[in-house]
Amino acid sequence: MNSSVRRRVRNGALGLGFLALAFYLGFIVLLVLRSHH
Amino acid sequence: MANAHPSDTAHHDDDHHDQPATGIKRWLFATNHKDIGTMYLVFSLIMFFIGGAMAMVIRAELFQPGLQLVDPVLFNQLTTNHALVMIFGAVMPAFVGLANWMIPMQIGAPDMALPRMNNFSFWILPFAFTLLLSTFLVPGGAAAGGWTLYPPLSLQTGDSFPMLIFAIHMMGISSIMGAINVIVTIMNMRAPGMTLLKMPLFAWSWLITAYLLIAVMPVLAGAVTMLLTDHFFGTSFFNAAGGGDPVMFEHIFWFFGHPEVYIMILPAFGIISEILPTFSRKPLFGATSMIYAIASIAFLSFIVWGHHMFVDGMPLAAQLFYMISTMLIAVPTGVKVFNWTATMWRGSLSFEPPMLFAIAFLFLFSIGGFSGLMLAIVPADFQYNQTYFVVAHFHYVLVPGAIFGIMGGVYYWLPKWTGHMYNMTLATTHFWLSAIFVNVLFFPQHFLGLAGMPRRIPDYAVQFTDWNMVSSIGGFAFGLSQILFVIVVVQCVRGGKPATAEVWTGARPTGLEWTLPSPPPYHSFTEAPQIQ
Repeated sequence: MNSSVRRRVRNGALGLGFLALAFYLGFIVLLVLRSHH
Repeated sequence: MANAHPSDTAHHDDDHHDQPATGIKRWLFATNHKDIGTMYLVFSLIMFFIGGAMAMVIRAELFQPGLQLVDPVLFNQLTTNHALVMIFGAVMPAFVGLANWMIPMQIGAPDMALPRMNNFSFWILPFAFTLLLSTFLVPGGAAAGGWTLYPPLSLQTGDSFPMLIFAIHMMGISSIMGAINVIVTIMNMRAPGMTLLKMPLFAWSWLITAYLLIAVMPVLAGAVTMLLTDHFFGTSFFNAAGGGDPVMFEHIFWFFGHPEVYIMILPAFGIISEILPTFSRKPLFGATSMIYAIASIAFLSFIVWGHHMFVDGMPLAAQLFYMISTMLIAVPTGVKVFNWTATMWRGSLSFEPPMLFAIAFLFLFSIGGFSGLMLAIVPADFQYNQTYFVVAHFHYVLVPGAIFGIMGGVYYWLPKWTGHMYNMTLATTHFWLSAIFVNVLFFPQHFLGLAGMPRRIPDYAVQFTDWNMVSSIGGFAFGLSQILFVIVVVQCVRGGKPATAEVWTGARPTGLEWTLPSPPPYHSFTEAPQIQ
């Protein structure tokens, strides 16, 4: 794997990982906010 | 074509070893996609038999009315954990195993892009399922409120509740890491010239499935985290007494749960799209439209979750929206079934075991699809909801759908993996026994449901006895037939007639995997093949 592919793999994986984390926390935050109405 | 030898790796700048390690280290520290794929498939088979054993107890209890073998609490624990084991332990890991084995070989890559993460995502699973299965041993027993974990019922689970939640989190983390690996592998490791539209359908189906996984597994994790805080930390996300809303859990759960159904079937669509052209000796009819159909099904899967909740009560406009959007799924699914049929039309068909499973998939999955359409009709659903009709529906989708897809895939690629042909007679016998008894097992459940037999009960009114007996006999026979599958696989691993690189000589296998020798070298492609 050359360095540019390696970088794209790392960035892709980090991006998707953060996306998953955002979905996880996002739903919890959504319900916390909803419960304050 | 680059059938590179493992020693030809002078320019190889990562840490992969040229040869497998020996002993337990090979498996414990595995980073090779084939070894990890094998571990996933073996794990899945073990879980298939554990979940199957639970199903056998369930069918034995339901053989006749009255309580015979298990008390109602244990019965509910078995139905709940049968589902969790089969979904998260058998079907999903089997598809991840197939993805691990086949995606690098199909796209011309040496391995998955993130081999260490691959190892980690597999090794989480045995711990997750040991934790889940050990809940049967703690005070209060395992979860018994159904795999959907609806509160407030699921909050009544005994001491095993946090174990269950932790196990689900681990399964979710494993799936998300597997999905990330699939996406970055496909997006970055394709051989030169392999544009996305030239990619095999199995890899395409997995690319879309992986995006679904990343979108919805965190939602399940969020929902069960909130269940945990409701149980232990005094929050009231789903507790009406504290201002929360239990129906909200159902919405969140099914926002995960419906795409999850497609996570379990889309890779099977990909496998069927590989097998049918091979044994029809024709290219796949409408290959590009197949990709768009899978993408459409994936998109629609996000907007139909409310059809699981019609009887909860919802505005008429919402009922109509969910009903119509659900029925819309029949359009891309119809495109796929049409294309598969058109692929076989005037083809030079032969009926090797993978083809038999693919054809059975086509007929029997369609039955599950049709009963799904019936369930999508709001007023009809009011009658079918919580009956055995639903059980018949989703088992038709998952057993002759997803599991026949997996078995077809294993029979298709097994000679490639092992380098040996398997016993065709035994595999064909396995197919016929499975295909006959899966119908004996599940078809009568349609009648039971339409006659009003509720699901998730250990006892029933006497008028349901006859079809329950038929269903149970089908269940035991289907379960026993699967021993043949193990025999065929074990025999094939141990030896047999050598398989050629093409394996299905005389048929029309297309794809890079068939250019590699059988078995393929430890690192599939150390030099990228050129695609014309």
